[in-house]
Amino acid sequence: MTDLAKKRFAQLGQQLQYDQLSTVRRQAEGWRNGLTGLTGLVGVVFVLKGRESVAGMPGVWRWTTALLLVAAFVLLLAGALCAVRAAHGQLGQGTWLSGERLLAAVLDEVERTQSAVITARRLSIAGLSAIVIAIAVSWLVPVKNAADPAGSGKDGPYVLVVTDRGTECGTLVVGDAGAVTIKQAKAKAESDKEAPQKTTLDDARQWHRIPADDVRSVVPTDGC
Amino acid sequence: MPDHASTDFHEHETAVRPDDRFDVVRSDDGRWYTVTGLCPTCRATVVFRVAYGVLGPSKRLWGRDPHRPEPLTGSVTVFCQCGYPHAERPPESPDTGCGAFWDVPVSGTGAGQGAAS
Ligand SMILES: [Zn+2]
Ligand SMILES: [Zn+2]
Repeated sequence: MTDLAKKRFAQLGQQLQYDQLSTVRRQAEGWRNGLTGLTGLVGVVFVLKGRESVAGMPGVWRWTTALLLVAAFVLLLAGALCAVRAAHGQLGQGTWLSGERLLAAVLDEVERTQSAVITARRLSIAGLSAIVIAIAVSWLVPVKNAADPAGSGKDGPYVLVVTDRGTECGTLVVGDAGAVTIKQAKAKAESDKEAPQKTTLDDARQWHRIPADDVRSVVPTDGC
Repeated sequence: MPDHASTDFHEHETAVRPDDRFDVVRSDDGRWYTVTGLCPTCRATVVFRVAYGVLGPSKRLWGRDPHRPEPLTGSVTVFCQCGYPHAERPPESPDTGCGAFWDVPVSGTGAGQGAAS
């Protein structure tokens, strides 16, 4: 009985001993392309989705996001270098080209290529996870609303209200169909100096309600 | 050392002769085996090497020596690579021997192994 398939596989095995380095390199190229595509995809999502969300975030979270992104960049860069190294070999690596040394060197390089691909995959996954976490942070952390009258203080948006009688300037409290209410910044500074314990009362007194009929224009401004 | 028998090329499965002895030796770093013995058909000394290779990313456990793979078990299919010109060998054949192939059992230790097992 002659099972020729058995011999063919034995022959294939012998052939693979010479070919396995290029086989592994091709495999590494495929992995590199896959990882690059994945990285690019998530990067695009972040560029499209993340930028405007970061702007209004509280400082701690903004720093967290920035650190995550820097970590992601470092991880992805290292991963990409690993993948390239796997696909194309280490620069400046040499061996004596004797049969024995070459066989050992090929086996060594196959192992190193494999571990470089595995490292590249781990680094890419870690980097992508960091990007995804950064996106999640930018989505989930509440954005500080600068127009909130209770927390605005001196940082609130100032408006210049032009009326028939003149120009008034202050922090916008509320604006509706009936009137525009502003808090005048100058008066607040004075009341803080004189009676800091009565701030809430004073706040209410400083609120200046301008009937909508009197208002000619409302212009946002940097300060009063 | 027996003389080489110039048999006609013929791909056929055979078996190690009962009085022959095949040596299966593992290399020092454990990454290849060398099988040495006489071809049952043409009586040339055949040295057959089986290296450890990869078919995909290896599923290695942490902390294990990556350079020493699992020992080979079972048997190795060896084919004749005697290098002599055998009549009737087609020019396109990758074979470099008489066409014979046979199994050589590999013992657990990887040391010399007789034929009768
Ligand atoms: Zn022969
Ligand atoms: Zn032979």
